[in-house]
Amino acid sequence: MSYSDKVLDHYSNPRNVGSLDKSSQDVGTGLVGAPECGDVMKLQIKVNPQTSVIEDAKFKTFGCGSAIASSSLATEWVKGKTVEEALQIKNTEIVKELSLPPVKIHCSVLAEDAIRAAIHDWKKKNNGVAQNVPATTEARQ
Amino acid sequence: MSRAGHWAAQPGASVVNVLMANPESKSSLIMPGEATSTCWSCGTMRAVHFCSACGKVQPPVPVNYFTFFALPRKLNLDTALLEREFYELSRKLHPDLYARADQQEQEWSMEQSSLLNDAYRTLKDPIKRTEYLLRLEGVELEEQSKTATEKARATGEVKKQVVPPDLLEEVFELNMQLEELRMQKKMGEDDPALIEELRKQKLKFEEKYEALFEELKGYWNQWDKLVDSGDEEARGKVRDQMLDLLNRRNYIRNLVRDVNEALEN
Ligand code: FES
Ligand SMILES: [Zn+2]
Repeated sequence: MSYSDKVLDHYSNPRNVGSLDKSSQDVGTGLVGAPECGDVMKLQIKVNPQTSVIEDAKFKTFGCGSAIASSSLATEWVKGKTVEEALQIKNTEIVKELSLPPVKIHCSVLAEDAIRAAIHDWKKKNNGVAQNVPATTEARQ
Repeated sequence: MSRAGHWAAQPGASVVNVLMANPESKSSLIMPGEATSTCWSCGTMRAVHFCSACGKVQPPVPVNYFTFFALPRKLNLDTALLEREFYELSRKLHPDLYARADQQEQEWSMEQSSLLNDAYRTLKDPIKRTEYLLRLEGVELEEQSKTATEKARATGEVKKQVVPPDLLEEVFELNMQLEELRMQKKMGEDDPALIEELRKQKLKFEEKYEALFEELKGYWNQWDKLVDSGDEEARGKVRDQMLDLLNRRNYIRNLVRDVNEALEN
């Protein structure tokens, strides 16, 4: 199958590959998998405790090119957003940005799952801290 | 709406409801109407493949593979018997036999033959058979995963991963080690301790892989007992347990494959 240019770009030049200190209070870790294909994806965020802004994000994906590109893009997108804003990211936006074909939609779903899992982990660690940050409910572009 | 109109609408509506409630009708694997057809040539009640009265090949109707072989939807299956059936049918449906039949019958025999091959290949393999049954029972992994993500997005709740977190953890760690091994090999280095460790892991996963298959057979037995019971809840439970198991097994299969590849190259 042929990949779009954007997928190829992220694939051959992935942004933010690596890891953050899992045990740090400010770091949230999401580890997710797609059993259909056996791919796994880890995405980590570092959140500013005062502002709830995601200041850094790293990923490591063992999987197909589209999964790598989706998670690379996801780290780029979450950086600079508050966690509540990051929770609005939809897999369909990733599909659109990377022009993923229908058979690769589950790779983008995996990336959305990874973002959510990382944020959930961070919230769990920082019980209640996140509560006083106003949620953004508007749909992002 | 008048009362008459209301009643007139009723039968049609209830047919739709029945179809909707039946997971099979939503699946592309099956279509209704298989049971009542008659032979196009002699008018006898026909079998799926060819007419038992006059022997003519029949146009393929979309049936599920179990029905194709006139088998119940059970998972314990006598594969020797299946094989015999397969060869017998292959012979009878072989397109060469219909070289002088009319165009239509030739085409049907070809279509029936390829359906036969697909059905046989799917049912003889224990894992493929189980996966196929799960699909017949309405399992759509990808669709369900997407729906669960959408639900998590809407409710703010966490999506439950379909495999246990510690398995994902193990898979991830092993992949990291594999990557390291590949790097070292590329650089011409070699780390006996790492190789030893990976060998051990491989053995462990191979054992797990075997054990899962034994576990699966236990579920087969449960399933087969429940098949005709009409106990939807119990059936659903066994179905989900099998699905769970196959998901875990997929990961482990990939791992064993990847470790082997990395060790050999
Ligand atoms: S093929 Fe499964 S994540 Fe891409
Ligand atoms: Zn006939």
